[in-house]
Amino acid sequence: MQNSELKQLVLELSEIERTALKQLGIHEIHTLESLAQTTELNKDAVRRVIEWLKEKKLIQVQDLQRKAEYSLTKTGKENLEKGLPERRMIQALQEKTLNFKELQEKTKLNSGEFASGLGVLKQKNFITIQSGKIEISEVGKEFAGSEWMEEKILNNPDECSLDQIQGLIKRGLLEKKEVTENSIQISEFGIQAKEILETIGSQREFNIQAPVQPLYLGKAQPYNQFLKLIRKKLLELGFTEMKERLIVQEFYNFDVLFQPQNHPARQWTDSYQLKQPTHGKLPDKKIVDKIKAAHETGGLADSTGWGYEWSTDIASRVMPTAHGTAMDARQMCEGVEFPKKYFVINRCFRPDVLDATHLVEFNQLDCFMVGPGINFRSLLHVFKQLAYEIAGAKEVKFTTAYFPFTEPSCELSIKHPQLGWMEVAGGGVLRPEITENLGIKEPAIAWGMGIDRLAMAKLGIKDIRYLFSDNLDWLRKSKMVVE
Amino acid sequence: MPTIECSKKDLEKLIGKKFDSAEKLEQALQYAKGGIGSLEGDALKIEVQDANRPDLWSAEGIARELKARLGLETGLPKFKVKKSKVQLIIEKSVKKSRPYMVAALAKNVKITEEYLVQMIQLQEKVGLTYGRKRKEVGIGIYDLDKMKAPIYYKGIKPREIKFAPLEFERDLGLNEILELHPKGKEYGHLIKAFEYYPIVMDSTGTVCAMPPIINSNYTGKVTEKTKNLFIEVTGWNKEIVNIALNVMVAAVHDRGADIEAVEIVDETEKAKYFTPNFEPKKTKVKIEFINKLAGMNWSTKEIVKLLERARYNCTIKGKEILLEVPSYRQDLLHEADIVEDAVISYGYNNLEPKATEMNVVGKDLLETRLKEVIRSTCVGLQLQEVLTYNLTSKEKQVTKLGLNLQKEIFAEIANPMSSEYAIFRKQIFPELLEFLGKNSRYEYPQNIFEIGKGLELDAKSETGVNEKNKICIIICGRNANFNEGKRHLQALSNSMNWDYELKKIEHSAFKPGLCAEIKIENRIGIIGELKESILKNFSIEMPACVIELEF
Repeated sequence: MQNSELKQLVLELSEIERTALKQLGIHEIHTLESLAQTTELNKDAVRRVIEWLKEKKLIQVQDLQRKAEYSLTKTGKENLEKGLPERRMIQALQEKTLNFKELQEKTKLNSGEFASGLGVLKQKNFITIQSGKIEISEVGKEFAGSEWMEEKILNNPDECSLDQIQGLIKRGLLEKKEVTENSIQISEFGIQAKEILETIGSQREFNIQAPVQPLYLGKAQPYNQFLKLIRKKLLELGFTEMKERLIVQEFYNFDVLFQPQNHPARQWTDSYQLKQPTHGKLPDKKIVDKIKAAHETGGLADSTGWGYEWSTDIASRVMPTAHGTAMDARQMCEGVEFPKKYFVINRCFRPDVLDATHLVEFNQLDCFMVGPGINFRSLLHVFKQLAYEIAGAKEVKFTTAYFPFTEPSCELSIKHPQLGWMEVAGGGVLRPEITENLGIKEPAIAWGMGIDRLAMAKLGIKDIRYLFSDNLDWLRKSKMVVE
Repeated sequence: MPTIECSKKDLEKLIGKKFDSAEKLEQALQYAKGGIGSLEGDALKIEVQDANRPDLWSAEGIARELKARLGLETGLPKFKVKKSKVQLIIEKSVKKSRPYMVAALAKNVKITEEYLVQMIQLQEKVGLTYGRKRKEVGIGIYDLDKMKAPIYYKGIKPREIKFAPLEFERDLGLNEILELHPKGKEYGHLIKAFEYYPIVMDSTGTVCAMPPIINSNYTGKVTEKTKNLFIEVTGWNKEIVNIALNVMVAAVHDRGADIEAVEIVDETEKAKYFTPNFEPKKTKVKIEFINKLAGMNWSTKEIVKLLERARYNCTIKGKEILLEVPSYRQDLLHEADIVEDAVISYGYNNLEPKATEMNVVGKDLLETRLKEVIRSTCVGLQLQEVLTYNLTSKEKQVTKLGLNLQKEIFAEIANPMSSEYAIFRKQIFPELLEFLGKNSRYEYPQNIFEIGKGLELDAKSETGVNEKNKICIIICGRNANFNEGKRHLQALSNSMNWDYELKKIEHSAFKPGLCAEIKIENRIGIIGELKESILKNFSIEMPACVIELEF
């Protein structure tokens, strides 16, 4: 390296590189820890500095130095606290002579520990065994009070010889770990650079091509950014937002939605139950009676109903919201205006095990609209509209479906620009048993949409768990959701 | 949602039509509210969506529906039933244990392997789903040639008889069967409490079955060699057992069996009648209602055609259509259900979507707007937003914070899938601490926030739970301390125009003297610098200060 080149290089050294270099004396050998200590930089920064200085050939980083370290295993730690098996046995035997069974019970040792303890004591001649009775020997009495070698080792494994340690490793009390370390030493160029550094003082030039440390800004969580966009779309389409609830009465989750209490469909909607609280309050008795009538006889609707005895107790049980449609049900009991479009984005809960395709809780978009002239074809239209507005899908497919609260019912599949055909929504025309009994004079359609999968497509992720990412680095580096 | 396994070839044979691509098959299955679950070679799994149509839970049933929808054979399916001389006598002794039994004979059956698979599958699915785990429906199928009429259905005290249940060689006592036989263990609770157990016996005194648990090994074994079948259904509701019987019998009928009716002699009700009874149900639908709900302008003739393809027989009467409905359908509660059948026949994808004019303006909740403003303030404070789950564990919410397990109560799941997600969180910050613990390898400072809910039990609320909206901020890094935390609280409060007061409190998670209750009007929060031991519990290697606040 030419002198002028070296000078330029020194001029471009960053503050932390300069700090580190100043701490490196000739012939001194440093480690990452020692450098972190003397420079008062955090280890991450020191690690980076070492990389940079090595690249610039100002330091030499030696090959790995291996060092064996011994540390206590979990059992080792327990033994240190409670006493080694042999120590506990001697203590018990000091009181009186015992047989095997008594000794094991008294010391509460498991059979493995008991056997190894007994072995050690026999080897040391601390005990004698006669016709099943164990007694402390004279030697044992003499040494019972002092600290034994095994205990010394456990207290201070690093100061003991390898032979001594071996036995305790075999007994699973100690373990050996190989620790690797870099040794860092200033190079010839480094020494020259340090001299130049002293002459130039704080003068610094900047290599504009050099990488800089990342700066992390404050940012909204990507999934929330996506949900904000969805809300905006829905507002543009004229929808009014309903309140989200995590806990609902079964009345809203099932009964208002004409899900019979004694029907398998109710168990099929795999749902969580609560241990506490168990029951909530039902709305006005007039409304409850209407729903009861709907189930039992069809009520005001020209329907047979389900023909069973409806229970208030079951309806008043509370549960984690299993689908956002429960909020539609609540709104319909509170009263609806028409024409009007409603929506809610609700966190929902179903017993699933968390994996790459299932979340323990997920967001569902639920909508309903009421107004004169609404029919099954209106639903198909709104499905098509949402497919385009929310997912950017131009092709849609409708398939037959069953929901207890709609008739006719329909499912929506879309051809997603990235993912191909996928099922995204289901709904239908609300059953007359619901609308007529609740005094909703105009027809209504209701549907639910799983937005998690759409979010995955929008955020470009394959593992659904990233929607609730617990990786800070991923969150920091994620791109803003614009459209 | 039942999944039906069958052979594609067998299904095609039953329908009388071949499907040369999976798409075409899928399209056809749509008519039965079904879809292909999987298709490997000839092995087909069909997912049937409708929970109220047990008749669709077999290859025979799906074929019957599709035949009509595809126009191969329309209108009410015809079932030929001859009266047999076999009597089934229901004795009074069984009335309190499981009161109803209906039965049918299926003669000259030509059982093949696939036939047997379908029959057993249908028996299982109907008992499990429609029959609510055999409580409402238990189905028994026997080798008729091994039984001597009349057949008796009676109640017997468990100690009085023994018989060898299916797959057992030796005789077992009735309670022994409930304890030893897999089906006894599974369904024993359905009869255990009764003094008399339900028993099917023939006129020689041979025990044929103990419904709804298990058949005897002698009469109850049906194989490819069996020629004539005795089929019975037991339960608590006459209508339900008859529907289940008709579903079963319709399936064997469609495989070519000669069906004969059994005379039921009910000694309690002093009634005699023959089953199966395929007499169609009668209902009607208004033409105008169909068009209004479908959003169409179909002619009466068109509607009749659509309904005939859904297996109805139609008679036009003025503005209405009188309908005859297959006896096994019990899912038609309202005219709307008939409309769906018409629309399905027409084909959902043949309908033109049509916009409905609605003069409406969209509006979001104040709560949503508030969240957005808080979010943008936090972003302005250079905080990274994080999203965690509402479901969590007591370990995080209590133990790791050094709180008392006895004193802390939560909205708690009765049937959790894992202890990790068994309660609803009360506080957000333990979840964020967990997050920080997982990210200690990344650059500090790690200043994060979450806007979410904290759930507290509250007997006064309508659900017994108060769902509080909360903002939680944690600053974590070399310089994080109470002072830094308070600066963040102050910045947020100023920006939101909140007046906050601090009152020193003690909390097991926070350093003494560095923890305070935040009060903004009637809303409560907490701010504090975490104890080292607590940071260690969450594997966090830097100091951290927490702010959590209702809004």
